[in-house]
Amino acid sequence: MSALSRAWAVCAKDATQELRKKVAIIAVFFFAATALALVSFGVGPFGLRAEDRPPLLAALLWIILFFAAATGLPRAFVAEEETGTGLALRKTIPAVYVLAGKTLFNFILFLAMAAVTIPGFVILLEWKVGSFPAVAAIMVVGGFGLAVVSTFLSALVARAGQRNVLFVLISFPLLVPLLQTAIRATTQATTGEFPSEGLRVLIAYDGAAACAAYMLAAVAWED
Amino acid sequence: MVSSLPTVPTTIAAESLSKAFSGAPLFRDLSFSASSGLVAIAGRNGSGKTTLLKILAGLTRPTSGRVRLETDGAPPLSVSEQRLAIGWAGPDLALYGELTALENLAFFRRAAGRPESEPVLVRRLADVGLAEEAMRRPVEEYSTGMKQRLRIAFATLFDPPVLILDEPMVALDVDGRETVHRVVEKARKRGTVVLASNDERDFAEPEQRIELAGAPGREA
Amino acid sequence: MTRALKLLLLPYMGAVIVAAFLWPAPAAGFIGESSRIVFFHVPCAWAATLAFIVGAVSSALFLWKRDRRYDDVAVASIRIGLLFGVLTLVTGSLFANIMWGTWWNWDPRESSYLLLVFLYGAYLFLRAAVEDPERRPRIAAAYALFAGVLMPFLTIVAPRVTASLHPQTVINREGKILMDTPTRVVFFNGLAAFSGLFFWMLSIAARAERLSRRE
Repeated sequence: MSALSRAWAVCAKDATQELRKKVAIIAVFFFAATALALVSFGVGPFGLRAEDRPPLLAALLWIILFFAAATGLPRAFVAEEETGTGLALRKTIPAVYVLAGKTLFNFILFLAMAAVTIPGFVILLEWKVGSFPAVAAIMVVGGFGLAVVSTFLSALVARAGQRNVLFVLISFPLLVPLLQTAIRATTQATTGEFPSEGLRVLIAYDGAAACAAYMLAAVAWED
Repeated sequence: MVSSLPTVPTTIAAESLSKAFSGAPLFRDLSFSASSGLVAIAGRNGSGKTTLLKILAGLTRPTSGRVRLETDGAPPLSVSEQRLAIGWAGPDLALYGELTALENLAFFRRAAGRPESEPVLVRRLADVGLAEEAMRRPVEEYSTGMKQRLRIAFATLFDPPVLILDEPMVALDVDGRETVHRVVEKARKRGTVVLASNDERDFAEPEQRIELAGAPGREA
Repeated sequence: MTRALKLLLLPYMGAVIVAAFLWPAPAAGFIGESSRIVFFHVPCAWAATLAFIVGAVSSALFLWKRDRRYDDVAVASIRIGLLFGVLTLVTGSLFANIMWGTWWNWDPRESSYLLLVFLYGAYLFLRAAVEDPERRPRIAAAYALFAGVLMPFLTIVAPRVTASLHPQTVINREGKILMDTPTRVVFFNGLAAFSGLFFWMLSIAARAERLSRRE
């Protein structure tokens, strides 16, 4: 069996669990919906000057996506430890496949979240998307980086104390460059420019993070 | 590509194992090796049986010493093959509650790169005494006895030459205990079984017996 | 560090500090004597970066050799890095106040150092949160190396992509060193002195770490 199909098996397992229990899905979407409601209540479609809208809305969008992700993505490994199933997994499957599969799952979860939040922004905040392919590209490339880093770090914190605070603390410094770049690129996309430099930086970041996660997977999760 | 696990004699060798958490060691300089038959691990509660078995299974690192798996003559096993060559079940073992027994086994086989068809998995579960109707219900609905049977099925999932069982009879009725007996007898003829049980009388003469004294002052 | 080197470090550092205030003239384009801060601010920044490199390399060595002494060096290094990082931020902040009237500007270069300090803090917090003393060095090493790979994005990308208030650095576009001789001499000796100070502190802290493990 190919490596990809083995990782896919892990992803599919997580997805099956999620679809039956819906714990992470509900938490994530509830958070995103609440944040969206708050933001649109505070800002509204007419609360900002036209020239301020692109950067501010881009920043707000990524802030919501980041915190919603921080709510749901760490569950990847933490849930395995809480239910005790981590032992069986560690016994049977090499860490690399587990990490790859869960990253894939978190990536899909992120995209689903973006697919719901962005229309929310368009409708409630009159967000002008500008170039849709550009925004889609940023979501894919930025979301992948977010998934890689979040999944790897959740493996680190899975068997530690103070997990929620710990995860935000250790992920924040590493994700800021990604978020900064994504916000800037999104701003550019909404004003009509194609953010080629930003996308290049994000792809480089994704590549670096993925390589590092691949090489350190066993250290992070196995004993 | 499905490469099967070795059918040549496989020896599990523990070399000078010691384990200490903070304070006095549970056991020190423990060595043994076995390529077939039953190795019984005996000792009171808290003497370190579970920890020793987890070390043998590769789930915990020893404080010092190591565990080796050898195939006489045949090429050495890769890390992933070694992982699968030792089956393990213990009270800590939990499988996925939202998935059915069949889905659980299918997942582990697939993620390990050795998928098996459903009829084969059904037979494995039937061998441990799970009814076909039960196999298709989520594991969280199982009784403790059924969960224990599933644990045994997990331990033997890859037909490992080394089988490690920690308290396999727990929560089982007469039928369940017979099932475990059958599994153990079959496994000890083909390869090694390392077994820890408070009910030693249940098992026919072990080929080897290791008594753990436990750390002084440590009682469960 | 050998005793001779340690004894030499004191007068050396002293000489650098005195020279920093007395020898080179204040640089053009800076308010008053504020350009002298470069002799302290930059070496602190350098020491903080050095601390990270040493920490990351030690972590890698620990994972390779599984010798706990490498882990002792790594954690000691990060702790010292935290100290120098904070000093960098403080000296930079003093400078910012003199030049532009505010203590903090959210300038990309400033902010990337703030993030670096957060990173060090996060590493130490992670260590504290892992209860199992056998897993702790491995988890910490994994984090240090992972962060090490992403570090360039923290410190290089952000400041380069946006315009910055920060004065041009030594490594500038023209590839030449634009300082006059007195400044150059004091500056590079300052770097050497601070590096010496870092390694001295590191050797003490690493030893302390090893001793505390024995208990």
